[in-house]
Amino acid sequence: MKIEREQWQMIIALLVVGVVCTLLLATTNIFTRAPIAQAERQALMNALMQVLPEHQNDPLTDARSITLQGDTKPTSFYFSRNKRNAITAIAWQVTAPDGYNGSIHILMAVHPDGSINAIRITGHKETPGLGDGITKNQAWLDSFGDKSLHNADWAVKKDGGDFDQFTGATITPRAVVKAVKKGLTNYAIIKGKLFRLAQRNRSEASHAN
Amino acid sequence: MQTNANDVADIKKGEIFANGFWHNNAIFAQLLGMCPLLGVTTSAENGFWMGAATLLVLIASNLVVSLVRGAIPASVRIPAYITIIAAFVSIVEMSMNAWMHDMYLILGLFIPLIVVNCAILGRAEAFASKNTPINSLVDALAMGSGFTFALVLLGGVRELLGQGEIFGFDVFGADYPDVLMFILPPGAFIALGFILAGVNIINRHMQARKDQQAATLAQAAAPQTAEVQS
Repeated sequence: MKIEREQWQMIIALLVVGVVCTLLLATTNIFTRAPIAQAERQALMNALMQVLPEHQNDPLTDARSITLQGDTKPTSFYFSRNKRNAITAIAWQVTAPDGYNGSIHILMAVHPDGSINAIRITGHKETPGLGDGITKNQAWLDSFGDKSLHNADWAVKKDGGDFDQFTGATITPRAVVKAVKKGLTNYAIIKGKLFRLAQRNRSEASHAN
Repeated sequence: MQTNANDVADIKKGEIFANGFWHNNAIFAQLLGMCPLLGVTTSAENGFWMGAATLLVLIASNLVVSLVRGAIPASVRIPAYITIIAAFVSIVEMSMNAWMHDMYLILGLFIPLIVVNCAILGRAEAFASKNTPINSLVDALAMGSGFTFALVLLGGVRELLGQGEIFGFDVFGADYPDVLMFILPPGAFIALGFILAGVNIINRHMQARKDQQAATLAQAAAPQTAEVQS
């Protein structure tokens, strides 16, 4: 009988601890859900501001999702527009799956004609001091500016292309160049559809006004 | 370490603090919690926020474990403590994600890993489960700030030698070449080795001074025995 009572004590103690902790976490979740979403929006907005040219619209809401061929999840495309409501650039996230250490996430923005406005690295785990030059080497990031599928060789110089590799790090820039090139290729494929969707955004916006 | 001799309780809290912050420091004395130490101490700022997150978890878990210490049967105390610690780590993680998003992205995986920082379970088991909530709180403050101090020190050394900066401020000028070794994990081991050597030197000096004081005291009381001690 005595053993049974001790077992009950154990069960009740763990049960109470579990239930109280769960309640605590649920409460925290309720209070942090909105700020987390807001922080993620803000982070995306900051990144978009860095790659898109000056604009008169809100790219966060002026966006459309398309599932690219070979992808399972849809990709969001964000538009920037000038005063006359014409699209000046389109930004979206691409992923280089073959970085030196896991995936590299890149935000790229292209002009409607398929030339690059700017690219930024939004997430990576590359080696500090070597591969992470892709985030710190501004000149290298700028070397993507105005490049398109037609006016550049999309490979690092070591492979006979136009883009610099870094001392001691070829794999990382190679992966980025490859991913951005794939992004441009995809853009050429979906361009027509994308602009039709963007047109719909514009008419919805003018309805709202 | 001079404390007010009239207040017995104060001396004890001072002792708890000195123990947690220095003599029993999770990193310098016990060499616990090496995982965040190596992973995030690439800069002083990263070290500080990692330490602060750990400090918060430690305070909350020590307090709660101490409050429930009579109610939890000894045989299930470890799973109960781990559940409590994991809950607080998740709370800290969610809060950082919400209100310190940039730092959350930098520290990333190391925040949830605070759960398995044996320094925290160690304090719950070795101290909080046997002491009053107030004393456990003091212990958590001391241990946590000692841990933070160690992380900031190591992060600062690595940031200074690796990138020539402290808390992001340029110290050695823009021409300083990044010293890769200090940015990468081996640099953490090497810098930690030198810091531990420094800590040992300080401890030896403190011990020598203490011995000297004891010797002079003993000399005053009984001149014969003093020779043995010195």
